Amino acid sequence: MAEIIPLTPAGAEAPAEPFRGGACKLHPQTMCPAFGALRVLTRIEGAQPAMVTDTGCLYGLTFVTHFYAARKSIVAPALGTAELSSGKVQEAANAAIAEAATAANTSFIPVISLCVAETAGLAEELLPKEVDGKPVILVRVPAYAIHSHPEAKDVALAAVMRRFVDTSGEHEPGTLALIGEVFPADPLLIDGVLRKMGGRVVTTLPGRHVDEIKQAGRAAAVAALHPFYRETIGVLRERGVAVVSGAPIGAEGSAAWLRAIGAALDLDEDVVERVAAEEEAAARGFLASKPLQGATILVSGYEGNEMLYARLLIEGGARVPYVSTSIGPSALTAADEAWLKAHGTEAVIYRKTLEDDQAAMARWSFDLVIGTTTLAAYAKEKGIPSVYYTNILSVRPLFLAGGMVASLSFVRDLLNRKPIYDRMLAFFEGDEGREANR
Amino acid sequence: MSITLIRDISDTSSYWGASWVFGCFPDVHIVCDAPIGCYNLLGMAVTDYTDALPHMANLTPTSIREEDVINGTAKALIRTIDDLRTMGMLAGKRLLVVSTAESEMISADHAQLVAQIDPEARFFWSQSLEQDEWTGRERALLFAWEQYGKPFVPADVQPRPRTVNIIGPSLGCFNAPSDLYELKRLITGIGAEINLVYPYEGSIATTPKLAEAAVNVVMYREFGQGLAEALGRPYLFAPFGVFGTTAFLRELGQLLGIEPAQVEAFIAHEKRTTLQPVWDLWRGPQSDWFATVDCAIVAARSYADGLRSFLGDELGMKIAWVSGRPRREDEPDNIEIRKRLHAKAPAFVFGSINEKIYLAEANARGTHYIPATFPGPVVRRTTGTPFMGYAGAANLMQELVNRFYETVINFLPVETVTPAAGGPPKPSGAETMPWTKEATDRLNAALDAVPYLARISASRSLRAAAEQAARARGLKEVTLEIIEAAIAQGAAS
Repeated sequence: MAEIIPLTPAGAEAPAEPFRGGACKLHPQTMCPAFGALRVLTRIEGAQPAMVTDTGCLYGLTFVTHFYAARKSIVAPALGTAELSSGKVQEAANAAIAEAATAANTSFIPVISLCVAETAGLAEELLPKEVDGKPVILVRVPAYAIHSHPEAKDVALAAVMRRFVDTSGEHEPGTLALIGEVFPADPLLIDGVLRKMGGRVVTTLPGRHVDEIKQAGRAAAVAALHPFYRETIGVLRERGVAVVSGAPIGAEGSAAWLRAIGAALDLDEDVVERVAAEEEAAARGFLASKPLQGATILVSGYEGNEMLYARLLIEGGARVPYVSTSIGPSALTAADEAWLKAHGTEAVIYRKTLEDDQAAMARWSFDLVIGTTTLAAYAKEKGIPSVYYTNILSVRPLFLAGGMVASLSFVRDLLNRKPIYDRMLAFFEGDEGREANR
Repeated sequence: MSITLIRDISDTSSYWGASWVFGCFPDVHIVCDAPIGCYNLLGMAVTDYTDALPHMANLTPTSIREEDVINGTAKALIRTIDDLRTMGMLAGKRLLVVSTAESEMISADHAQLVAQIDPEARFFWSQSLEQDEWTGRERALLFAWEQYGKPFVPADVQPRPRTVNIIGPSLGCFNAPSDLYELKRLITGIGAEINLVYPYEGSIATTPKLAEAAVNVVMYREFGQGLAEALGRPYLFAPFGVFGTTAFLRELGQLLGIEPAQVEAFIAHEKRTTLQPVWDLWRGPQSDWFATVDCAIVAARSYADGLRSFLGDELGMKIAWVSGRPRREDEPDNIEIRKRLHAKAPAFVFGSINEKIYLAEANARGTHYIPATFPGPVVRRTTGTPFMGYAGAANLMQELVNRFYETVINFLPVETVTPAAGGPPKPSGAETMPWTKEATDRLNAALDAVPYLARISASRSLRAAAEQAARARGLKEVTLEIIEAAIAQGAAS
């Protein structure tokens, strides 16, 4: 493995006041919150969404949905001043539901109610419960109340789960449901290790099939791999499914998580201990080379799982003084935040804005920025290697020893790309570039 | 009142249209009175896919929250403006506050408040609950002229001879850089001078200069004509096709008082340069194909009319149907377009991502989809892909012929290295199947070799193929042998 080229001298920065975020909070960093709901709902086979909203909202959300979620046609009523002021929201929603029900391959109809419809008032009791046997499920996701798109994923998943989760059957001993949109190979890695302990993964949500949602209700335990599925795990908890928070991240995190899963699934303690120790040993073997030592990295995403990634980087030897996310703090985020604070992270910012991230860039000097598109562009304008968090996170395994090796190796490669960022910057903004702009 | 239904909307609202116009001005800062979603979708997400801008740097939201929906957005607006001042983001800029569907829903009209805060600032009531992006763009152009232009034009201003404004190109206009480049080339080619490209290359400060041009060229039929009429000089629309462009050049020359001989000399030169490939392809066997294939056109009004005229009238291609934006009563809406594409897809479909999805739903692999409008992510920032003018005619013809070639070669027999067995893999069952460590490692290694962006779908299809094969063989887990076979069968491609 090549040496990391740029190193920030450890402790080069003078100690200062605790970091307080941006002086002003002008530009919130999240996709439109409602997109999270569309992402979850449009990907379920047979779901025919009906959106109740104004045309500008419809345009923006269908645009990103068709690019990031599913190539699925979306039905909506035209909703303008005339309809909104004459109390036609209900009638409009019903017309869209009726249209959505006409397609033969529609198996259920999520009704996604957005800002203007919520402001006008859409009454759930006046919507049909089902049309031609196809369930109708209201999902309320006004951007002004939800605040981030990961949290809207939870709202949507919880809504469909309430309707579809299996409440009749027994729990299957030793089975685990995973919650969180993870790289498709990750559940396999987890399942492989779980089977060595005598358990197994039954399903990963959000998924592509209603059956998977039903199945989650029969699991003995659920693992909230991402820390924002509060309502969803609440539904499962009511159903008697044991809840394990946190994720199998890094050496420490993986072992602790496996033990927690072992306890929740009531697996043989000795076997669990042996497997957890094996996993930890495998991870520590890789970490012994301290692959990221000397690097200072900023982690700023809006996916809600940024703290997991930051933990991994820190275990890899990096210094991660600042982590920011779009979601709010909760019981599910507390453990990761505490771990980070105990391992050198000075600031964890929830519901962050661009100004918070930029203040962090001014406060610390970074060798790598893993950020939102806006922040990554800002960092590239300073010649700092930077990548869009969502792209990086979603294309490789993350969990257990295997995921850790894949992710950290990639980050190490990124750190070595500094010269090409410098060269581009020098050309476009350096003396040569300024000459051209004169 | 009956409810109109929409599928996969094609035109956005006036808030978007107006912001895409105002957003072109480097000396303006827009505050949109909006929840975070309306800001994010316009300023950070979609404009990155329409215009390849990392984000709109001169747009800030009031970030309407629940309490603002109840109490009004004035406090949020004041706080936002104060913060922008604190950050120095208003230095040297004109402040412009734009309403959105949600702020209009709660009647947040801030005309007076904005005037109190800053007499130089303006409030634009976007009427997003009623008006589409085209009306929004039109009104924004007129608003800019009336607020920042007309009052500052000297009373005795005379148009400068032979000067032309190009009105219209703005953010969110499909392919605008290429079309603008071609328009400028044509206009200067006959000896005229560009006065101002508005709003693309304009600013608040240069807006009064609009009065100085002798002729205006309105780039789009769908908006911009209103400003041209307000300017009170003769105007033309941007041309398409060989004959459409020739007529445009002659008319423009006449309006500007340019010697016809000079115009004709340029046209003659173009025939032997830019247009030579059109003549060569026309004389070659390639043009014979145009009589044998049909196409459908979904695009903004200029493109819809321009493509119909060039492909249909000039090249003799069969035009199955056209749907322009804004849509006319007699043109199919998206519900009808979807039905038509499912029933019978023409050989070529010009359109947006919506048409592309409808074609995919019908598995219409024999149809060539050509991006011709938004919505849909497509980078069109170079100058080499025009639809307008002579260069547009040559580019379109070249594009179509290359698609013909592709169709032809795809029909030729080929023997693949490993024949596909049993058709494409079916989705795996709901239950997760166990994998051996070796199999998982092999999967990861295989995925490493797949191009970055294709990995997610590759991992899904490989996993599904392997699990299906394991089930078919009655195995309880995926082994190394199974995954090797799936990889060999090219499930990752």
